Amino acid sequence: MGMNIQEATESPLVWQPQTAEEAWKYKQSYGDDGVYIAGGTLLRTQWEAGTAIPPRHFIDLNSIPGLNEISIGEEGLLIGSQTTLQACRANPLLQRHFPMVIAAVRTIAAPSIRNLATIGGNIVSVVGDSITALLAYDAVLVWYNGVKEQEEDLADWLPEAAKPGNRHDRLLLRLLLPFKAYRKEETPCSSEEGQVNSDTKLFHAYHKIGRRESFTPSLVTVSVSGLLTRTGVIEELQIAVGGGQTIPGRLEEAERAVKGKIVDNAMLAYLYDRIIELYEPREDIFASAAYRKRTAANLIVTELWKAFGGLSEQGG
Amino acid sequence: MSDKVSGNELANGLTCSINGGVQSIPASPSKTLLTLLRDDFALTGTKRSCDIGRCGACMVLIDGKPFNSCLTMAYQCCGKQITTIEGLSAGGIGSIQQAFLEEGGFQCGYCTPGMIISVKALLDDNPDPSDDEIAEALSGNLCRCTGYGGIWRAVKRAIELIGCQ
Repeated sequence: MGMNIQEATESPLVWQPQTAEEAWKYKQSYGDDGVYIAGGTLLRTQWEAGTAIPPRHFIDLNSIPGLNEISIGEEGLLIGSQTTLQACRANPLLQRHFPMVIAAVRTIAAPSIRNLATIGGNIVSVVGDSITALLAYDAVLVWYNGVKEQEEDLADWLPEAAKPGNRHDRLLLRLLLPFKAYRKEETPCSSEEGQVNSDTKLFHAYHKIGRRESFTPSLVTVSVSGLLTRTGVIEELQIAVGGGQTIPGRLEEAERAVKGKIVDNAMLAYLYDRIIELYEPREDIFASAAYRKRTAANLIVTELWKAFGGLSEQGG
Repeated sequence: MSDKVSGNELANGLTCSINGGVQSIPASPSKTLLTLLRDDFALTGTKRSCDIGRCGACMVLIDGKPFNSCLTMAYQCCGKQITTIEGLSAGGIGSIQQAFLEEGGFQCGYCTPGMIISVKALLDDNPDPSDDEIAEALSGNLCRCTGYGGIWRAVKRAIELIGCQ
């Protein structure tokens, strides 16, 4: 208690750019002594914990018009980087087309934090719990690099961003969640399983495992989605895993290995083993890597089993 | 480039509404709303506890939505309407506070202002929330005394009281 660390330091200067170009120029001018800031929830806790030094210059991204909007673009849904997590949580377009993002956002902190924290902040933290859901939807990041807008797959950016010494000079403007042709007919009120037509069925699930029921840091996050035929053939499959300080990623090798296969006991056992092999979580004092691997594999295999209606019901 | 808001400039220019009254106060841009409310305005109903947004004791309404005042910085409050627990009682005890009294929704009382603010935000937005919606709305408020049973009953009672109005 008492005076906060930031209050005890020199008063910062808050810059309020009106365009992305202005914001980028401020960042170029101040370098490591300036930080892009929106909600500031993560930065504030880092300053309080002493894991980051409060900068002398805040570059307030909330002052840039248009970065907090969600709209439909030609290729998919566009989410402004300054959209608060709570605004994402309540958005009907996200609820309709990208339910795993809603499920993920719902598990992040509490409404009062989500009113301040932004989707962009969750992404650039590199380990935010929305990221596994965004990866499963093949999210694309749109940056301003000082000259022009630049698109980059979230999956490509994450490993680079996590490298030590990586400078975050580019400004995240928005993210694009592409509409997939096979998902277009998904019903407005997406349930756990959605019928695309009489022959195929969409499924999707997001899970966050922590050490308590709500408002908890994650140990494991999992997103799994895809398309199954009536006979149990996996036509499409996306698997993303993360949690804790693990850099989230897609398990593309596992996806490829079972795509086109029929969901049966042998396939699920094989998939389980592949997940254990491919998922490389960071362990900490609370949970071992082995525990996290087993948890992720169980969740993913269970969702596939549920999507096919349970093998016992199918005589499997 | 655009205007710069420096600490000194903010000291002369931070203007917001607190419990319905327009206020202009000197403050560093990074000073927390919690410190401003307690130290500059003596609004000590807003409680300091974890200082990192985990416990909800410092909850206030900003433009009608719940925020942790320990995470909210002064510059983020410019032009906003801030309501503290004192602002909810300006016209006497309200339905939510009455419900907490009737149902034993508190013991030591330290978390209670934050709880009541969160319930106020919930019921203003959704007067008839489901159990899941109540749980989600209160997921950022911790209580070390009650075991939450009394708080849960108080929320249910508040829904009834407000529904009868």
